[in-house]
Amino acid sequence: MPKLGMTMEEGTVVRWLAAKGAAVARGEVVLLIESEKNEVEIEASASGVLRHIYVDDGDTVACGSLLGAITASADDAFDAEAFHKAEHRPETKGGGALTVKRAAPKAQAQALPTSTPTRRAIAPAARAAARRLGIALEQIPGSGPGGRVTKQDVETFAVAREALLPVADDVRLEVFREGEGEAVLLLPGFGVDVSAFARQTSVLVENFKVCGVNPRGVGLSDAPEADAYEVAQCAADIAALCDTLGGAAHLVGASLGAAVALELAIAQPERVKSLTLITPFAESNARLDALLEAWQRLAAEVAPDALAGALLPWFFSTHFLADEDMRARTRRGLAKTLSRTPAASLERFAAGLGAWSGSRAQQLGEVKAPTLVVVAGEDLMTPDAELVAAAIPNARRLLVPGAGHAVALEAGDAVNEALLAHLAAQA
Amino acid sequence: MDFSRESSIEIYRRMRTIRGFEDKLQELVAAGRIGGFLHLYAGEEAVAVGVCAQLRETDLVGSTHRGHGHCIAKGVDVKGMMAELFGRATGTCRGKGGSMHIADMDCGMLGANGIVGGGIPLVTGAALTAQIKQSGAVAVGFFGDGATNQGQFHESLNMASNWKLPALYVCENNGFGEFTPTEFVVPVRDIADRAASYGMHALIADGMDFFDVYEKAAVAIERARRGDGPTLLECKTYRFYGHYVGDPTPYRDKEEAEQWIQNRDPLELFEARVRESGVVSGDDLREVDGEVERLLRAAVEEAEQAPQPDPEADLTSDVYVSYPT
Amino acid sequence: MTARELTTGAAINEALAIAMRSDPDVIVLGEDVAGGGDRSKAGVEEMGGVLGTTRGLVGEFGMARVRDTPISEMGLLGTAVGAAASGLRPVAELMFMDFLGTSLDPLLNQAAKLRYMFGGKVRVPLTVRTVSGAGMRAAAQHSQSLYWITTGIPGLKTVVPSTPADAKGLLLAAIRDDDPVIFCEAKGILNQTGEVPEGDYEVPLGKAALLREGSDVSLIAFGATVSVAQQAADALAGEGIHADLLDLRSLSPLDEEAILRTLEKTGRVVVVDEATPRCGIASDVAALCVDRGFDFLNAPVKRVTAPHTPVPFSAVLEDAFMPSAQRVLDAVAELG
Repeated sequence: MPKLGMTMEEGTVVRWLAAKGAAVARGEVVLLIESEKNEVEIEASASGVLRHIYVDDGDTVACGSLLGAITASADDAFDAEAFHKAEHRPETKGGGALTVKRAAPKAQAQALPTSTPTRRAIAPAARAAARRLGIALEQIPGSGPGGRVTKQDVETFAVAREALLPVADDVRLEVFREGEGEAVLLLPGFGVDVSAFARQTSVLVENFKVCGVNPRGVGLSDAPEADAYEVAQCAADIAALCDTLGGAAHLVGASLGAAVALELAIAQPERVKSLTLITPFAESNARLDALLEAWQRLAAEVAPDALAGALLPWFFSTHFLADEDMRARTRRGLAKTLSRTPAASLERFAAGLGAWSGSRAQQLGEVKAPTLVVVAGEDLMTPDAELVAAAIPNARRLLVPGAGHAVALEAGDAVNEALLAHLAAQA
Repeated sequence: MDFSRESSIEIYRRMRTIRGFEDKLQELVAAGRIGGFLHLYAGEEAVAVGVCAQLRETDLVGSTHRGHGHCIAKGVDVKGMMAELFGRATGTCRGKGGSMHIADMDCGMLGANGIVGGGIPLVTGAALTAQIKQSGAVAVGFFGDGATNQGQFHESLNMASNWKLPALYVCENNGFGEFTPTEFVVPVRDIADRAASYGMHALIADGMDFFDVYEKAAVAIERARRGDGPTLLECKTYRFYGHYVGDPTPYRDKEEAEQWIQNRDPLELFEARVRESGVVSGDDLREVDGEVERLLRAAVEEAEQAPQPDPEADLTSDVYVSYPT
Repeated sequence: MTARELTTGAAINEALAIAMRSDPDVIVLGEDVAGGGDRSKAGVEEMGGVLGTTRGLVGEFGMARVRDTPISEMGLLGTAVGAAASGLRPVAELMFMDFLGTSLDPLLNQAAKLRYMFGGKVRVPLTVRTVSGAGMRAAAQHSQSLYWITTGIPGLKTVVPSTPADAKGLLLAAIRDDDPVIFCEAKGILNQTGEVPEGDYEVPLGKAALLREGSDVSLIAFGATVSVAQQAADALAGEGIHADLLDLRSLSPLDEEAILRTLEKTGRVVVVDEATPRCGIASDVAALCVDRGFDFLNAPVKRVTAPHTPVPFSAVLEDAFMPSAQRVLDAVAELG
């Protein structure tokens, strides 16, 4: 079957015009074939006898198939098989079996906390740097647009990680140390990092060795697997840190950080030179429980900026939020702060907080350390701060009327004045 | 005009080689042994051989998609051409060109061309080179009647005439542009009429008659070499196999085709003329037939045995003379 | 070598004269490259090209080598290809790059492919000079930057200089190169002046130039957008952001290693291209960064290009069409 067109793959024998055994002359039309709707006459390619017909009228065969054979005389034998071998050498086509190659399996990464279901933007260069430095990307805060983790973030993390202070076998804490003098430990509240004390740090460094402590599970501090980060455990971390720093220290804690400070002051009073409890609580309440539930869920499902927007009214007063510029700036800053505590840590802190709630309520009178309690007038989260102040013997008390729960940020000057006075009194 | 025995045999050999080559390709494609887009020159042999017989090795020829005849007439190695059509590394173009792009600068073959009319400005450029370098060479462009409807044809002829370039434009008017009869798409009676717009000399030859083509080409080439400018030479001819290999030719009048093929075969006309004049015998020519058949069988044999190109080395070579990566 | 201040057009003119003096096979042909003029008549002079770039050549080299062609872009480019394949070293002028529309076949199907189709047995040492780009209020059919078309055709080389000195050196290299080279003269730089060394020198094809160094961000530009990127880099420097500025100079061959080097250094890339955005050089560079430089990327690759529209006539619209330094700055800001 001749290939008569560029696209022809097969053809049909319409009719043989010469009978088997008939004598044919070169150029004589011996059959009609049809291909792609065209009927074409096929001429004898040599003179002789039409010895064989291999494809009958009406049959369709592939191009290159033998249709018939003309031999010089009626006696000549024709070996179709030998002819095929000699003549039918179709054009070679590329191809062959396809091979699917797989990328080499990734080296088994060290067990990484993988409980950050929110999608994070991570620059390719950051991934490459993390691979090179053996760092788990989940822990790294992103500084790029929309919180994208950049290569610089990974490198900064790598440097900071080198400076982590060990407090337990498997836990090292990120501690920002600045200034000289007696140690003042800053302990941030639920879900935020030491940047919550930004306004205090700048003042305290002039006279003290300020140590901003990111608790386990926050910032670069290790986040060990656990069902809960118990308050007592966090207090033990601080005790270990005090050992490293020379024995005892002044503790400044806000909210959950105040609970940790209070716990340590009751459990190991020798570690605590003084206590400053900012918006503390002894016992949780239904509103706080509901808020923490919502907080955890939002942290897992929305971007840090949206979470910050939702939390803003809980942290700050009506008066403070009235300034739109201030509100926007604060929201952005808060978003960054919040992004440093992964959702998994929030669950663990909430579990620890729930377990601790009320456990020391009857022991506040045992606190020996000189104590300052800062109470915020518009505090929606921990309204029993006044009760804490009243229960601790000889506690100083600063009431900042019209301020929200984040009083250390909102009314930094007032808080600093009382704090410096309180610390000065211990000298 | 009389030819010596040797010349007559040589002319016949060229025409027979072209015919044999094309017949062989027709068989090879039908048997599925080679592929690609092929356009056969059978029937037009007298044009290529008639014109090229007037050329020197240093003269340049530009060709068309129906270019095998021009290549053979200009002296391109037949075995290399056959290997090229099999896509082999030993082909004239190392398997990269195929039927529509056979070229061999060593024998003045500026290339077949897959773009209808695409070779015409190239030939014009070659003529410009000859003029500026005063090399004495002539550039000859072959093209079909269809190409004369392309802008490249008109732009080139206008420039060449204006600059009096040493060029010869040979239109092989075979009556069809692909499947469309020339008179459907050309409003002038003769393609040669088109030269008048460019103040260009024009001639018409019987493209089936070697001697007529040969004589007209002589006049045109002489003019070009003298510096009198280009000529448009129209050769009336016919393609025996249709537009491409496998063309079922439903569009052409069977009787008319039969007329051309039976009565106007350029090989038969040539044979009759030279045998009549007595310079060669039928036996002389049958001997040539045998030699050509053996040459072509050997060409196919060798091409099939020849190595394939190497994708590693050959796919990306020859794109540039140099290309830093 | 001493240098003088020349416009890009004058630098190109100088390169043509040097090439023609040093090689008798170099000819110049195109529409109005001589541009009429009968030197036997007082007060009658040739135009020397629509922008005057080839003025004076016909006086020195004569009508045989400086040849006015008819307005037949396809015919003249095809003739130039044939001349190149048969022994000359022609410099053809395609008056505006937009005229690729009436002339593409000789470049696309002939010049680019002869060597390959013929198994390496021919050279096509052709240079096509053409004026590209917007900025002369020339509207949609005389303002396009179509180098992305020629860059995408294997067998052609494409260069787009950004300074008078590079224009001279790249043109000399292009003319002496044995492959067909499309030499784009961006309208934005033709009248710009700059120091141009005297004498004969070549700027190699396929080599980008690092025009300023900084480690914060990489600005990649070529042709008319180099000065736009310079302005942006100056403004960034004022803010303490230091940019690498890479001038590609050649689009084919493309200096891929230079692109990857600057990407590796800064991790942030903005490509500035005055052409339309689809299938363009900016996209090609972005693809290269992702394909071969993925692990260097610290931010998305930003493309600052013209919009996907024809070039408008109105000055206000044309200015808005062209990439601006402000748009480069905006892109840098988006990188973070």
